[in-house]
Amino acid sequence: MVDEPILQVQNVSVDLVLDKGTKPVLRDVSFDLYEKRAMGIIGESGSGKTVLSRLVIGAINPPLHVTGGKVLFRGRDLLTASAKELQVIRGSDVGYIGNNPGSALDPTISVGDQVVEKIRAADSSISYKDARDRTIELMRAVRLPRPEARFHEFPFQYSGGMMQRALIVDALVTNPSFLIADNVTQPLDVTVAAQIIRLMHELRVNFNTAIIFVSSSLAVVREIADEIIVLKEGEIVERSTPDKIISAPTHEYSKRLLERIPRIWEIEERQEPQHEVQADQNVILKVEDVYKTYSVKNPKKFFSHNKVEAVRGVSFDVMAGENFGIVGESGCGKSTLSRLLSWVEKPEQGTIFFEGEDIAGMSKRELLNLRSQFQLLLQDPYNAMPPHMPVGRTIAEPLYIHGGVGRKEVRERVYAVMEEVGLPASLYQNLLVGMSAGQRQRVNLARALILKPRLLILDETLSALDQVEQSILLDLFERLQAQHGYTYIFISHDLAMVRRACTRIGVMYLGKIVEIAGNQSVFFDPGHPYTKALLSAVPTIEQRRYNAEECLLEGEPPSPIDIPSGCSFKPRCPLAFERCWTEEPELIVREGGGKSACLLANESEEGLVEAARGNLERRTKEGSLVEG
Amino acid sequence: MTFILTFLLRRITQGVVIVSLVSFLIFTLLRVIPGDPVRMMLGPMATPAVMEQKAEELGLRDPITTQFGRYIENMMNGDLGESYLLGESGGAAPSAQNTGGGSVTDEQIVERTKTKSNRAKVLKLIADGLPYTMQLAGLGLLFTLLISLPLGIAGGLKPEKWQDRLAFFTGSFFISLPNFWLALVLILLISTKMNLLPAIGYKGFAYTILPAIVLAIELSPVMIRGLSVSIASNLSQGFVDGGILRGLPWSRIVWRHIIRNSSIPMLNLFGVQIGGLLLGGVFVVEYIFDFPGIGKLTIQAVLQRDFPIIQGVAIFAAAFLVFVNILVDLIATYIDRRLNY
Amino acid sequence: MTDQNKTIEQQGSSRSETMTRRMFRLALSMTGFQVGLAIFGLLVLAALILPEISSVSATKIAVRERFLPPFFFEGGSLTHLAGTDQLGRDLFLRSLIGLRNALGIGVASVVLMFLLGATLGIISGYFGGWVDTILMRITDAQLSVPIIILAITILGVTRPNVFTIIAVLVLAGWPVYARVVRSVALAERQREYVRGAKILGASDIRTMLIMIAPNILPPVAFVAVLDIARMMIFEALFGFIGIGIQPPTPTFGNIIADGTKYIINYWWIPTMPGIFLILALLSINMMGSSLERARNKIFAGMH
Repeated sequence: MVDEPILQVQNVSVDLVLDKGTKPVLRDVSFDLYEKRAMGIIGESGSGKTVLSRLVIGAINPPLHVTGGKVLFRGRDLLTASAKELQVIRGSDVGYIGNNPGSALDPTISVGDQVVEKIRAADSSISYKDARDRTIELMRAVRLPRPEARFHEFPFQYSGGMMQRALIVDALVTNPSFLIADNVTQPLDVTVAAQIIRLMHELRVNFNTAIIFVSSSLAVVREIADEIIVLKEGEIVERSTPDKIISAPTHEYSKRLLERIPRIWEIEERQEPQHEVQADQNVILKVEDVYKTYSVKNPKKFFSHNKVEAVRGVSFDVMAGENFGIVGESGCGKSTLSRLLSWVEKPEQGTIFFEGEDIAGMSKRELLNLRSQFQLLLQDPYNAMPPHMPVGRTIAEPLYIHGGVGRKEVRERVYAVMEEVGLPASLYQNLLVGMSAGQRQRVNLARALILKPRLLILDETLSALDQVEQSILLDLFERLQAQHGYTYIFISHDLAMVRRACTRIGVMYLGKIVEIAGNQSVFFDPGHPYTKALLSAVPTIEQRRYNAEECLLEGEPPSPIDIPSGCSFKPRCPLAFERCWTEEPELIVREGGGKSACLLANESEEGLVEAARGNLERRTKEGSLVEG
Repeated sequence: MTFILTFLLRRITQGVVIVSLVSFLIFTLLRVIPGDPVRMMLGPMATPAVMEQKAEELGLRDPITTQFGRYIENMMNGDLGESYLLGESGGAAPSAQNTGGGSVTDEQIVERTKTKSNRAKVLKLIADGLPYTMQLAGLGLLFTLLISLPLGIAGGLKPEKWQDRLAFFTGSFFISLPNFWLALVLILLISTKMNLLPAIGYKGFAYTILPAIVLAIELSPVMIRGLSVSIASNLSQGFVDGGILRGLPWSRIVWRHIIRNSSIPMLNLFGVQIGGLLLGGVFVVEYIFDFPGIGKLTIQAVLQRDFPIIQGVAIFAAAFLVFVNILVDLIATYIDRRLNY
Repeated sequence: MTDQNKTIEQQGSSRSETMTRRMFRLALSMTGFQVGLAIFGLLVLAALILPEISSVSATKIAVRERFLPPFFFEGGSLTHLAGTDQLGRDLFLRSLIGLRNALGIGVASVVLMFLLGATLGIISGYFGGWVDTILMRITDAQLSVPIIILAITILGVTRPNVFTIIAVLVLAGWPVYARVVRSVALAERQREYVRGAKILGASDIRTMLIMIAPNILPPVAFVAVLDIARMMIFEALFGFIGIGIQPPTPTFGNIIADGTKYIINYWWIPTMPGIFLILALLSINMMGSSLERARNKIFAGMH
């Protein structure tokens, strides 16, 4: 009993037509989608997967042209349908969710009203009230907290995760036959993304909707798909179940893809870099009890301000020559911390010592000198450097600022550092326009290195790059470190990258460091429930070490306004008990040398189980699982 | 609600500051530059002694700040001063000027000018002219909208197509026409040669039409450009593509979402530019068409050095602009909630 | 984010030019700009050269030749292409001289108001805080005074000459530039690379000049061009009302004002000079508008 597929893509080819020539984007692609099935499509950037996701709803516009094939939705060819027919289909039978949640809706109208608009555009006989009720009901189903209030709020008041949920509501509200999710988890925090994926799972079951899930990450897709298609440069090269692809890929390309995915759990012993961190090595950067609070206008009341406690009492040491990682999600304070570390802003309390000297006490001249000692590299390769300056000049800028270097020497040093980072000398005069993200980051790096610093802070520097480029740059970092003895601080949300690159890791939550320990320790014996939850949410193709059901957090990473007393993690913690409401945990040393800011840091296995049970009892008694 | 209150409080305070600044500026300017008002009032026959005395009487020799203070005080009571030259009926005030022969003694001069009551009050002059100016401005704005809305919206929705080109050339053409020249030519062609519409003065509503057309041609380019740019830029916004993919009908996307989002910069435009242009344009147009509004009043006042009128109109104009701006911004915050935060 | 977030079109573009150059290139390819440039070029050439080489004079009074209509009407002659006025002066040449003066004043005032506005705008946008607030209030106040009132107040009571006229124009026009430059400064100040430069230790002046200044041109360029036209109209307007440059120097304002009383029977006396002015303005406006569209297209299409 094979039911008819609801979607049949038959031999479709799409070309990109530009002034300088035609480039094929999809070649002879065919697949079928059956009811209630989930299909995953993975491919790297440039593979054509976004074009494919738009193809199945008939949204191919110039300069893209379909050069052959059919897309049959319930027998009707979408490629030859009229605009009106397409509009009707999209409005009532198909759902599309893209990867830019913030801009999909009109910013001047409330979210709820826009969903209602869609409902009534598809069927004008539905009253506003009915449409609104249905919307709120769905909002509840996707676990948007307090949906009645959310309905009337505007897109800018929604966080990324909330917006994706709202867009899921929008896509499902007309009970479509199938849903396309194009890269929906990429802009989200790890724990939020995990929740969305779990949500889509449930919805599939409850709503009988087929799903096409497009992503560049196999680890993400395998969670949800029944079947996976691998796309390479516009062609389907493999089609199989997730387990089979991971364990026994048949195509070369799939094998290579698989190899490149960074392993987190399977390497029990991380290959430590040559320069092992000794206990008695000098501390190059010492952060002591640093606080930073911002004052933000409160729009609700007259003349009142809210306190945003971005960083609350952070302390750690960084040893010379090591790779220290700081991880956390949105709102944890790591961006503020990075600004404090690079002394772009001053902490209102606490001290930062560089090589034993208090930065706050330095004169302007000493500060300028300091800047040549440690450098900050930022994330966004498209905005981190002035677009109107040629590469050579950008790299030379620090030399000009610090002065004292003649023109000839400037040129020499620029060429030298360009070679070190692997930039061809021919790029000296070029502008940044047209250079790839990886190349731009190298320019960024060259600019930071030209003053021969001792310490480099990499604030999400690799986040904008794809796996391959990340890998290459990490190798480069390692080489440079071996050669020059650099110390690195990596600030990132990417746990896989941190696993590979860092010797010691600090986990931040709501302005504090909740755990700080060696790489091995953090990943294999986490001392804080948040760390555990984070690790359980990381998408991976390997065997999960931590069970998501036990640790998965509900709700959003909280906002740093109005932080309640006691442990700030307690609303989402599966182990919270009475003391957590009154005591604020400090970093306690555990066996093994790591530190964790949890009252149960040194509890035994049994003790933890006890606590979990007690917590579950309490929450069930309260009648609600935490809504976040 | 609290937001609106804070907003209004803040803006009105700012507005008051601005208007005060402007009035003080103009006030000082008028006092500082050469051209003696007393001479105007008393005529060339008066001796310096009499002029001094009159000036003292009028308080023109006090320090600027005192004069200004007095002015503000009067303003609070609704008194914007009196014209130096115009009488109650709007004609020339009886001055000490001798049109006939014979000489006049100093005492007689002072006597004649003592009766201040037959000088027109500035406030009244403004109030008299206001309805005419409002009628002209209103009709002018109406014509502007009639021209600009179709051109601007069509042009914005279809960039690079003929609608856009039409909007572009029309706008460029209109903005290159100096308003005074245009007024002259139109009077010549339409009123004199073709006898379609009346031109000079005011003897009925029809007299408003031609000047309003000139105003409209002056204001349209700005509006056309603003509209088409605003709409065209919204076409590339995420929610347009998003709307299409979600299955919203195109007409709805345009008329509900694009227009709504475009209206914010348009409102801004309205407040600042149109307000300013309107004010400026009205002065010139009224003057040329001899239209009995505030504009004609002002220009004549300038040519005759009638300071109180200039002063009063300047304050009025500033207050008007401030008011329009506040109104516009208030509406904007209603349309786009982001502005509240 | 990764390249996949750029549209496919953007990935194809790899021109390495600065924004300003691209803007001008794009504008040059538009017909509007080309036509404008052609007309403008012709006019400027004529205004600079013709009065020098022509045998006919703009100021010579030739009573016998007065009230000649333009050459394409009966009674006109080819020596006086645009006809003559009530004193027999050639209108064509008078218009060209008027054009010279108008352009001179227009360009001079725009350059000055740009410099003034841009400097204040950068300082305001870069430093923020109370410097910014004060400056913004001043621009608000300035903008609340319609240029006409300002002009007639100042010029109406002093004897207007070139400098006072330019001063009034600059005073009326600088706020727009300050605002635009300020918003550029504000936007650029937030950008990552400015942050990066500060981290490297760049001083304030350096940041303002090197980072922000080059980004000012695109939004300001077309405003400046359009303002040249706008200032020319104002200058003519002032002349018309009587507060502009006084006769005998011919400016559009006073030529047209002089000729107004003859409009019924000798319509060309005030009209022809107007047409010259209109042509000049039209060409400038077309160039300016094309620049504006070019900039908008670049900002939207490629970023």
